[in-house]
Amino acid sequence: MALAARTAARSAWPSLAPFLERHYTTGVSILSVLVFLVLWETAADQRWMNPRLTGQPTLIWQAALEVFRNDRFFYHAWISFAEFGIGFVLALIVGVPLGLIMGTHKTTRLFLEPPLMALYTAPRLALLPILIVWLGIGIASKIAVVFLGAVFPILVNTLAGVRNADNRLVQAARAFGATQLDIFVKILVPGSLPAILMGVRLGIGRGVLSVIVGEMFVSQAGIGYQIMSYGQGMQINKMLVYALSISLFSYGLILSVQWLESRIRDWKPVS
Amino acid sequence: MAQIEIRDVSVDYKRPNSEETFTAVDGINLSIEKGSFVTIVGSSGCGKSTLLLALAGLIPYAKGAITVDGKTVTAPGPDRAMVFQDASLLPWRSVHGNVRFGLELRRWRRDDLDQRVTRFVHMVGLGSFADYHPHQLSGGMRQRVNIARALAVDPDVLLMDEPFGALDAQTREVMGDELLRIWERDKKTAIFVTHAIDEAIFLGDRVVVMGKNPGHIREIVEIDLPRPRTSAMLDSPAFIAYRQKLRDYIAADMASLQMVKDVA
Ligand SMILES: Nc1ncnc2c1ncn2[C@@H]1O[C@H](COP(=O)(O)OP(=O)(O)OP(=O)(O)O)[C@@H](O)[C@H]1O
Ligand SMILES: [Mg+2]
Repeated sequence: MALAARTAARSAWPSLAPFLERHYTTGVSILSVLVFLVLWETAADQRWMNPRLTGQPTLIWQAALEVFRNDRFFYHAWISFAEFGIGFVLALIVGVPLGLIMGTHKTTRLFLEPPLMALYTAPRLALLPILIVWLGIGIASKIAVVFLGAVFPILVNTLAGVRNADNRLVQAARAFGATQLDIFVKILVPGSLPAILMGVRLGIGRGVLSVIVGEMFVSQAGIGYQIMSYGQGMQINKMLVYALSISLFSYGLILSVQWLESRIRDWKPVS
Repeated sequence: MAQIEIRDVSVDYKRPNSEETFTAVDGINLSIEKGSFVTIVGSSGCGKSTLLLALAGLIPYAKGAITVDGKTVTAPGPDRAMVFQDASLLPWRSVHGNVRFGLELRRWRRDDLDQRVTRFVHMVGLGSFADYHPHQLSGGMRQRVNIARALAVDPDVLLMDEPFGALDAQTREVMGDELLRIWERDKKTAIFVTHAIDEAIFLGDRVVVMGKNPGHIREIVEIDLPRPRTSAMLDSPAFIAYRQKLRDYIAADMASLQMVKDVA
């Protein structure tokens, strides 16, 4: 019988081992989150810290159920998502082509660089009061601040991607009679794709931050608005539900960009 | 007049971090008949690549004139194709895509485009690697893609800068034979840079020996061996004599390197 148990164990392991191996990274990440949650829960239970100030996982869970049921969560999420989405898409529409043009056309670059760099280095959130004066406290001012937050990382990275293009590839293309347009479309754009995606990833972080801070600053709806009101009302658990939903959202977006990046890493030169 | 005429050509480069220029090659005179195979040897840095780039129309020359079929070379043209010395494949395109690249740029409009690509990919022995990307290939395989890309556009003049540099001796021989076969069949003009003296003799109708400081043509040796060339010729007295002669020419230029060795 002992023998049977041992063989059973042995046959169970080989099937488990590859599973563990394959999901090793995910496993460790999940374990880390679990340990953190348990510690948090215990610390709050044992009053090592004050749950009124720090929240508590089980209470957050209850708060989440309530928020999703009757807090118009999806209305607020939709507002924030729209502000972020419109601002970010505008940033893409402006940032990528402008970066490509500035990367290829020297005069345009020299002309646009000073004002853009001035804007880039200015703390964009400090411009929020002016944007609100110009655009009101509605959705437009938040779109503008998301745009300003996201457009620069996208533009700067695209520009760098084009300027770092491998000159030998350009020369090879010219040897086969490439026109300027050929070089642009077949060398510069695909060649700067990795840099563009990095800019997009940075832009997502900036954009999400901008929309939340914008809403916290002044607005009538949106996730940031809810975070602000619950924070002021000392309803920590509900506030954390909103904050976590934001984290999940941007984490998901960044993961999908990373997936895209890993797809194109296939053809990155080994250097 | 020969198909390619190089008359008293010199090429200047900018020195790094200054407005000064220096002369990389100077006083080059060379006539190349249509359909002939010219090989160029010479020590590193004597301007072999520079001369080829000027022929390709990729860099301007400061003095003299280069004409191909009577037309002055000022830019790349469809009559010439180049195999570059260093990596010039698009990392985001597969082997097939890279060979296709040249044809796309040449505005190859015929229906046989992809078939043609496949044919040339097979020709350089990469048939089963058509979907690989450059970073998944060995150095020699990459160089073969380079060759296929240049051959596929069917140029009159084939400019090759150490195309076999990264290949092992066996592959080198096979590729050399293949190149000669294509050259004889399609009556192309070939200009071929190499460091290997035997290869230069084996392939060439003429071997151009270049010297340094500034780059110039030191000697031109006519290779009077019958075609098709065979590996049996490598041991013939004539071949050995050519080899000795070319070694002597290059050795003279190597004296400058020898001095560096004495210092070390
Ligand atoms: N783009 C460039 N700018 C400035 N100088 C250059 C440039 N390219 C080459 N040179 C210089 O021109 C000279 C000749 O270079 P070239 O590449 O033609 O030599 P090569 O004969 O092909 O050498 P190798 O056998 O090592 O390939 C060298 O002194 C080199 O430093
Ligand atoms: Mg060279």
